[in-house]
Amino acid sequence: MTLFTKPQCSRCKQLKDRFDLAAMRVHVEVLDNNNADSLAHLAWHSLIETARKTLPILVLDDSSTIDDFSLIENQLISRATQYGINGRDSATKKKNCPSGACSL
Amino acid sequence: MGVIMQLQQKGKKDREVSTVKGETTDLALFVRTSEEDITGWNRHRIVEALLRETYIDPKTAEKISIEVENIILSGAVKTVTGPLIREMVNAKLLEKGLERARRMHTRLGVPLYDVDQLLVHPNKENANVPHSPEATNLTLSEGIKKEYALLHVYSADVGDAHLSGDLHLHDLGFIDRPYCTGQSLEYIKKFGLNLPHSLSMAAPAKHPEVLLAHMVKFAAALQSHFAGAIGWDAVNLFFAPYLEDLGDRQVRQLAQMLIFEFSQQAVARGGQAIFSDINIYWEVPKHFENVPAIGPGGNYTGKTYRDYEDQAQRFAWALFDVYKEGDASGRPFFFPKPLVHITEKFFKTEGHMDFLHHICDVAADKGNTYFVFDRGDTAKISECCRLSFKLEASDFEDAKEPWRMRYSALQNITINLPRLAYKAEGDDTKLFTLLAEKMMLAKKGHQQKKRFIEKLMSLGENGPLSLLAMKCDGQEYLRLHRCTYLIGMVGLNELVKVHFGQEIHASDEAMKFGLKVIAHMNIICKKLNEETGMKFVLEQTPAESTAYRFAKLDIAHFGERARKVVQGCVEKENMYYTNSTLFNVGQTMNPIQRVEQEGLFHPLIEAGSLTHIWLGEAYPDREALADFVIKTFKYTQNDQVAFSPEFTTCLDCGKTCRGLHSTCTYCDSEHVDGITRITGYFTKVSSWNKGKVGELHDRYRNDNQFMKTA
Repeated sequence: MTLFTKPQCSRCKQLKDRFDLAAMRVHVEVLDNNNADSLAHLAWHSLIETARKTLPILVLDDSSTIDDFSLIENQLISRATQYGINGRDSATKKKNCPSGACSL
Repeated sequence: MGVIMQLQQKGKKDREVSTVKGETTDLALFVRTSEEDITGWNRHRIVEALLRETYIDPKTAEKISIEVENIILSGAVKTVTGPLIREMVNAKLLEKGLERARRMHTRLGVPLYDVDQLLVHPNKENANVPHSPEATNLTLSEGIKKEYALLHVYSADVGDAHLSGDLHLHDLGFIDRPYCTGQSLEYIKKFGLNLPHSLSMAAPAKHPEVLLAHMVKFAAALQSHFAGAIGWDAVNLFFAPYLEDLGDRQVRQLAQMLIFEFSQQAVARGGQAIFSDINIYWEVPKHFENVPAIGPGGNYTGKTYRDYEDQAQRFAWALFDVYKEGDASGRPFFFPKPLVHITEKFFKTEGHMDFLHHICDVAADKGNTYFVFDRGDTAKISECCRLSFKLEASDFEDAKEPWRMRYSALQNITINLPRLAYKAEGDDTKLFTLLAEKMMLAKKGHQQKKRFIEKLMSLGENGPLSLLAMKCDGQEYLRLHRCTYLIGMVGLNELVKVHFGQEIHASDEAMKFGLKVIAHMNIICKKLNEETGMKFVLEQTPAESTAYRFAKLDIAHFGERARKVVQGCVEKENMYYTNSTLFNVGQTMNPIQRVEQEGLFHPLIEAGSLTHIWLGEAYPDREALADFVIKTFKYTQNDQVAFSPEFTTCLDCGKTCRGLHSTCTYCDSEHVDGITRITGYFTKVSSWNKGKVGELHDRYRNDNQFMKTA
């Protein structure tokens, strides 16, 4: 499972704060101006155009993708349960993008 | 130097005239270099030239003039000409280690032998230029401007990188022009044809035929101010307000006139054909729905473009009727290229499936149709072989006054990717460092050309780019602030082959590595944008001759290593690199797989990408093609698709048949020529360069695809 994120993306931060993604074996890709590997990985999954509209994006183990924030949260909650990990409470649970930076 | 001789002969008065700044008429009229013109030798003319053109000191200039004079007076030189004296002076500058002064004092020109060859034999650098006296004028002047550009516009490091084949500065012979342009018909509908220095001014057209005449004339004028393509946005929609009173036959006639007028311009003008593109929409694009329509006489009709959907569709249908029929001998039209935008709204617009079948019929039969995929809210103007200008937020604001929609790419610089892999020798860090270095050089080259064009534009209506400096709507026609700077690539497939050991299509890992290279380029472009405020974007370079040039130069520089990598036949000199990010053209591959996988690169290449489907002799079913187009739109990231059939045209009986044959299938004549797509456009195979001929031989033809299913 891979989570595509970006620095300054408030929703990405929200997920990182709330879940112990490493323990859940969720690989986090950070899209920034120094990371060609992550951008190439995003392109490999045909997700560049989607990422230009919204981030974060979750790619499941079967290569299917989720870009709806609520569905990503639900998916990660299930994953956390599966791995026996409790999700942390996030200070702000906003579904919108207060930072305005939740896209590529 | 020849001028100097002449001036002495003609006296002081002429000398004063010819040195008037900003006027070069006398240079063109009075340059004489033959022996009999030199009636009075005066070495001070050498001194004057050196002081005027270089930065050397008077004492050195004096010394050089004496040394040259001694050689001439010694009788070693029997015929003294201006160019010869200049070369002698240059040799002296070199002897003294004054290389910079020598460059400044260079005489640009063409060897006699080369002119002799050029006048007789066709130049195949651009298959779009027919062989004719006007075309050789073009080639000769291009040759001089190329030298000028490399010596005077670009710095030595950029020029050397071009000459050695590290990168390719496109259209050097057109150094004083931007690269290409996309615009709206609304400009001439609103302002008429009021071009600087023209002998008459035309008010906005009142009749569709006149609008068409204005469009073609303006395109021809633009062609002489741009190096490449001239694209027109939403042509069928913007013609629509002129069509309301016309019957179907008249609309069909207008469509026929439009296509013939553009396609025959090369013959009429003798030089390069107008590389023309017409963007066509079945629906009224969202951004034009509420825009007040301009009609006859440049007046608003009181309606918006939303109200002209029927007329626009009628014209679009008629245009494709004409494409389907082909020219008088049934051959496909080479220009204008029709680019049909497939959008979300297209599928919601009544009659779209009939129209899709119609344009797929043309694609199958003649190959003309380009399918441009605008997914989601994307909108763009497409042109050239694959270039597109994606509309940004400010452009949608401009769309309210569509005559403002004028976009240009100022220049294209292409990186030789396989060479980076030879040099990197398997080291990733070295490879990406080299790539970054070459992109920095490309940035520098772009900045230098930008400065040069800005200088020409600053001369306004008295400058050579007066057409682009005209301000009918208050801002210059060439909107420099909206220009893009293209960085292209050739041979990603060969880079991956050298560095990774496999061609791109061979494995997921090879593909991922190819994506990483292009992602790296994409990221560097973004950094350059932030650093310079200019808009650098990646484009799949058409590379009609660059793919051959790079391959040939790499064989010269890297010998056996390159021989093992280049495509084509080295012995026949048909070598080439695979174009841009395309897969090996000869690879047997299901077309949907090719469209899908090549399409993974496309979102990273923001100024346009394309996948070719080579059809060969096959005549696909139009419904199967339509199904393919729909799937490509819905399930891939592919930017544009073109289907390319092949033809043989008989130069004796004039008939055209399907497929490439060595003899005419009608009369058995061997006097035949092939026709198919070279890069983005159709043309005669006899005009192709050697590399493209090699590629044509290798292309995998999808002979058994797109058949009707039960």
